[in-house]
Amino acid sequence: MTKQLVLNAFLMSTGHHEASWRLPEIDPFVEADVEYFQDLARLAERGRLDSVFFADGPGLWGPIEGVARRPPQVLEPTLLLAAMAVATERIGLIATATTTFDEPFNTARRFLTLDRISHGRAGWNVVTTADTSAGLNFGYAGNPTHAERYARAEEYLEVVLGLWGGWEEGATVGDKAAGVHTDPARVHALDHTGAHFRVRGPLNVGRSEQGHPVVVQAGSSPAGIELAAAYAEAVFTAQRTVEEGRDFYRRLKAATVAAGRDPDHLKILPGIVPILGGTVAEARAKERQLEELIILDHPLRQLAADIGIPADRIDLDGPLPTNIRPVEEIEGNRSRYELVVDFARRERLTVRQILQKLGGGRGHRTFVGTPEQVADDLELWFTTDAADGFNVMPAVLPSGLEEFVDGVVPLLQRRGLFREEYAGDTLRDHYGLPVPPSLAARAAASDRALVGA
Amino acid sequence: MTDQPRQLKLNAFLHDTGHHEASWRHPDSSADRVGDISWYQELARKAEAAKLDAVFLADGPAHYGTGYRPSTQFEPITFLTALATATERIGLIATASTTFYEPYNLARLFGSLDRISGGRAGWNIVTTFSEDAAHNFGLTGVPSNEERYGRAEEFVEVVTRLWDSWEDDAEVVDKAAGVFADQARIHRIDHVGRHLRVRGPFNAPRSPQGRPVYVQAGSSNEGRAFAARNAEAIFTAHQTLGNAQAFYADIKAQARTFGRNPDHVLVLPGISPFIGDTPAEAKALYDEFNELTVAAYGVSQLEKIAGVSLGHLELDEAVPVSLFGGAGNVLDNNRSRKQVVANIVERDRPTLRQLLHRLAGGRGHNVVHGTPVQVADTIQEWFEGGAADGFNVMPPLYPQLLDAFTSKVVPILQDRGLFRTDYTGTTLREHYGLPRPGSLYAGTAAATA
Repeated sequence: MTKQLVLNAFLMSTGHHEASWRLPEIDPFVEADVEYFQDLARLAERGRLDSVFFADGPGLWGPIEGVARRPPQVLEPTLLLAAMAVATERIGLIATATTTFDEPFNTARRFLTLDRISHGRAGWNVVTTADTSAGLNFGYAGNPTHAERYARAEEYLEVVLGLWGGWEEGATVGDKAAGVHTDPARVHALDHTGAHFRVRGPLNVGRSEQGHPVVVQAGSSPAGIELAAAYAEAVFTAQRTVEEGRDFYRRLKAATVAAGRDPDHLKILPGIVPILGGTVAEARAKERQLEELIILDHPLRQLAADIGIPADRIDLDGPLPTNIRPVEEIEGNRSRYELVVDFARRERLTVRQILQKLGGGRGHRTFVGTPEQVADDLELWFTTDAADGFNVMPAVLPSGLEEFVDGVVPLLQRRGLFREEYAGDTLRDHYGLPVPPSLAARAAASDRALVGA
Repeated sequence: MTDQPRQLKLNAFLHDTGHHEASWRHPDSSADRVGDISWYQELARKAEAAKLDAVFLADGPAHYGTGYRPSTQFEPITFLTALATATERIGLIATASTTFYEPYNLARLFGSLDRISGGRAGWNIVTTFSEDAAHNFGLTGVPSNEERYGRAEEFVEVVTRLWDSWEDDAEVVDKAAGVFADQARIHRIDHVGRHLRVRGPFNAPRSPQGRPVYVQAGSSNEGRAFAARNAEAIFTAHQTLGNAQAFYADIKAQARTFGRNPDHVLVLPGISPFIGDTPAEAKALYDEFNELTVAAYGVSQLEKIAGVSLGHLELDEAVPVSLFGGAGNVLDNNRSRKQVVANIVERDRPTLRQLLHRLAGGRGHNVVHGTPVQVADTIQEWFEGGAADGFNVMPPLYPQLLDAFTSKVVPILQDRGLFRTDYTGTTLREHYGLPRPGSLYAGTAAATA
């Protein structure tokens, strides 16, 4: 079989476009409706997509004024995915969780519980939380710096992977006659001691059908790339052009090889916001309708805070000012900031245009066109080493996902680029990733290799 | 509305194959299913069909495994979320530790469970007395009672304010004006205390119950005081009617001194019933389970409760009363479960084997054996005798002994007018007869605008 696309549906209340909730046909209260999300998961599963995904942050994500802008993400995503797991059978379930504001034992346990509930369909999108106000909810005076967050993230991942790897394959013996349920010799403490954590273990949840959840990462700064190359099995990234996509793809795969890993075991999934129409004109009209519904004050305030220039001194119809804050001073989402500035300069956009273009995908690439054109575009990126698949971000839900599943997916299937049926049951099966052995099995294998050598 | 006679509250306390420590070894056990969510969904549906108030999961963030029984303990809030969508009415109570969580994270988890279940969530607030758990969170030992309960008080205050930080009507959803929520009705909590510093506001609107039901378990001096101030339901372990009555009276009196309505503080002792058609049959069932116990497991559990080594004791030797010296009494103790065990030893002078059997069924909770009528009589006696507002029912073997309870004991309680024949509400607060709290911030928007 030829190489297959990975397609992940990135879900967000009424859709990724910040004004989607204002469309007349949209129910603006769906953000707390579990059945709505269960239906979306079933829809994605009908399209044979690999997985669904939720972003997350432990805070309001910006100032209180932001609550006017769009529906919040009411439901904590691992819990929401647990409810979606029992409504589906095959689709992967990926939730974001921070390494900055939680304890590794809690994260390891919650995600492995989701993995067990779903019989091996869970993924953890590891983030360090760029929201500069989240720290205030966790005893910090502000958010920890970029460097502090990434140092902690690496150790956090080591601990979580160590806890997940503590139960050996076959540790549960269930010998009623002998009265031995679990073989204690095959459940190992971790005894981790590091700069940030001291965690003894073992975890109180054993291995899942796929060993443990897939590790996903979503930060494309140099520190993010380093972390991804060492640990990630899939990467969500924002790339604006196919050239930039290829460059990022080449760099990350090379870094993965340099880290001693098989580059095929890290899937690079750029985001795309498809706005689909039967004709180009129809698709353009949809985009315009959404752009007109944006209240520019909201994103302007955010942009002003990011670039360090008061909102009332920014000319909406002028270009991005030249005296903006340099990227090195950004402690939040550094890679996204850089991308937006480059995009604005390259496309010679006015501030108004920047704000309108960003309303769809917060920096991710919007593609407006027919299903045929979207399929062509995805194929181009996929076949020229800019992507292993995509993080599909419907501007409006559920209609945008329906249009993608019913319009684009069949084209990709006809071209032999995407599965017609699931070949396996777990998220690792879908992504083509190996089942990670327990730490003990890995140690035994390396002992054997040494003896063999 | 007619005057409803006082009704029992009954929870099904879920615990893999059953509460008896050897239940998984029983030939009829479902040991091969305990890792599967569908097993728990079936149990929750059975409890719901019997109109029970809630299902409940205990928890501790550590592996308490010795190999002698199932030791996987799924994260209970995630797990109950998966049960929520398989049921419609039954309450869902999960245990979570104030010692090992951040309040913002925990508020989100329970707020989400309350949303997803349509207002059926309860939080069993514990401070976790466990060395094993402490070692998973960077601590070298268990913090003192004072330290743990100090943090717990602050934690509950913070979580409450987070849940209240969006007033009930904050979501205005004005499409035409492009205003989703009204920022004037969303409040920072600006908490700065000895243990915690949390600015807020919360990142979600108020959940259906306003706040999930506050449950508490842990009957030490600090635990009882904490419960009387904060809890709306209390899980507790008592071996005798007398002790249960003393505990009940103390809790209700303390609640009154805090200005609370004692009817809004429900006392729910554990009961683990072996049910047989005759007394002899029930006793035989009880003995059969105890025969399946592994002494080494029981000893390890008892050592944890008692905080002493028992390695020198023979199984048929009397347990020295002095081993449990200083455990106090039901109304004056630092560790309630140790006190329960000390009380058994003092009163009954059991051998080690007998003591292990006494504890094998419910880890200190009241294990009874009898006919359905006898079990119903005991429940009624405690309920009407000022010892309980209901029970945390702990079937020794799932599902068989849950089925026996719901099909044989529940109908007797219903015939006696002690238990509902159908749900009258949809939320856990409605089942428990608890009011829905308004937001602490209600009406403050106008004042500050």
